[in-house]
Amino acid sequence: MLQTEQEFVRILKSRLEGTLPPEELSDIVSDYTEHFRIGRTEGRLEEDLFRSLGSPEDIAREIRATHLVKKAEAVTSCKNILHAVLATIGLGLFNLVFVLIPFIILVLLLVIIFIVGVAFTVCGPVAGIFALLQLAGNPSFAIWLSPAAGIFFSIGITALGLLLVIGDLFLARFFYHIGIRYLKWNIGVITGTERLT
Amino acid sequence: MNIQFKKGVLEICVLSVLAHKDCYGYELVNEISKRIDISEGTIYPLLHRLKDEGHVTTYLQESAGGAPRKYYRLTESGRKEEHEQKEEWMQFCASVNALLEGKNHAAD
Repeated sequence: MLQTEQEFVRILKSRLEGTLPPEELSDIVSDYTEHFRIGRTEGRLEEDLFRSLGSPEDIAREIRATHLVKKAEAVTSCKNILHAVLATIGLGLFNLVFVLIPFIILVLLLVIIFIVGVAFTVCGPVAGIFALLQLAGNPSFAIWLSPAAGIFFSIGITALGLLLVIGDLFLARFFYHIGIRYLKWNIGVITGTERLT
Repeated sequence: MNIQFKKGVLEICVLSVLAHKDCYGYELVNEISKRIDISEGTIYPLLHRLKDEGHVTTYLQESAGGAPRKYYRLTESGRKEEHEQKEEWMQFCASVNALLEGKNHAAD
């Protein structure tokens, strides 16, 4: 591979087109073209400049991750946070352990609480209907010790279900914001360190 | 120097250099890389992040006999950030130094 300014800019552009808004991309590219331009006037070789800048692929990955995290912060959505998490994982093997695994555990936790909550919310009224039928004297629905116990149980379970679903949504929101802060910190401090030398 | 360490301190280095004077990218990279061994390209994404966060702004200025250069300047919030991070860093270093010196004494 030719280590020239052209090659550097080509790689950077090809990795970031479609993710970054065009004006932001050209702003970033202009920094690097300026760097090459000044370096050349100081008598440095293009190859040397290329090498000390570091891999354009890695630089593009970091810019991409930063941008996607910023996007997820601005607009809360499942898609945005997923993209941000995936881009951050792409920064290094290290993040398979420190981003992917915590992310999977959190998502599973939120999904399980949601499913249990919905199940309770649905089962409650069904149990209530059984209790009412029992009260009406239909023996085939006599699953409760007394219809009153059945109705109490039904109200309790419905309320618990709703509480779980609502609590889950708050929990998801909470983890979303904490997650964004963690990803920012991760990109800024932890990942990509192996390429610093 | 430990590589894990460097990326975290890069931000405070950039802020600190800019606190002394406005710099164009190449100049800033040089200031830092002559003291710390880094991949020079990582400074630019960092500058963009600082710009996004409102800690730095940019302006173009003609250079002697060349194309205009993009200068980076600290904003008010950037100065505050520089000050806070510097304090934190100094305290951290003082604590680590104290520990390291204590350890050496113990080894004696």
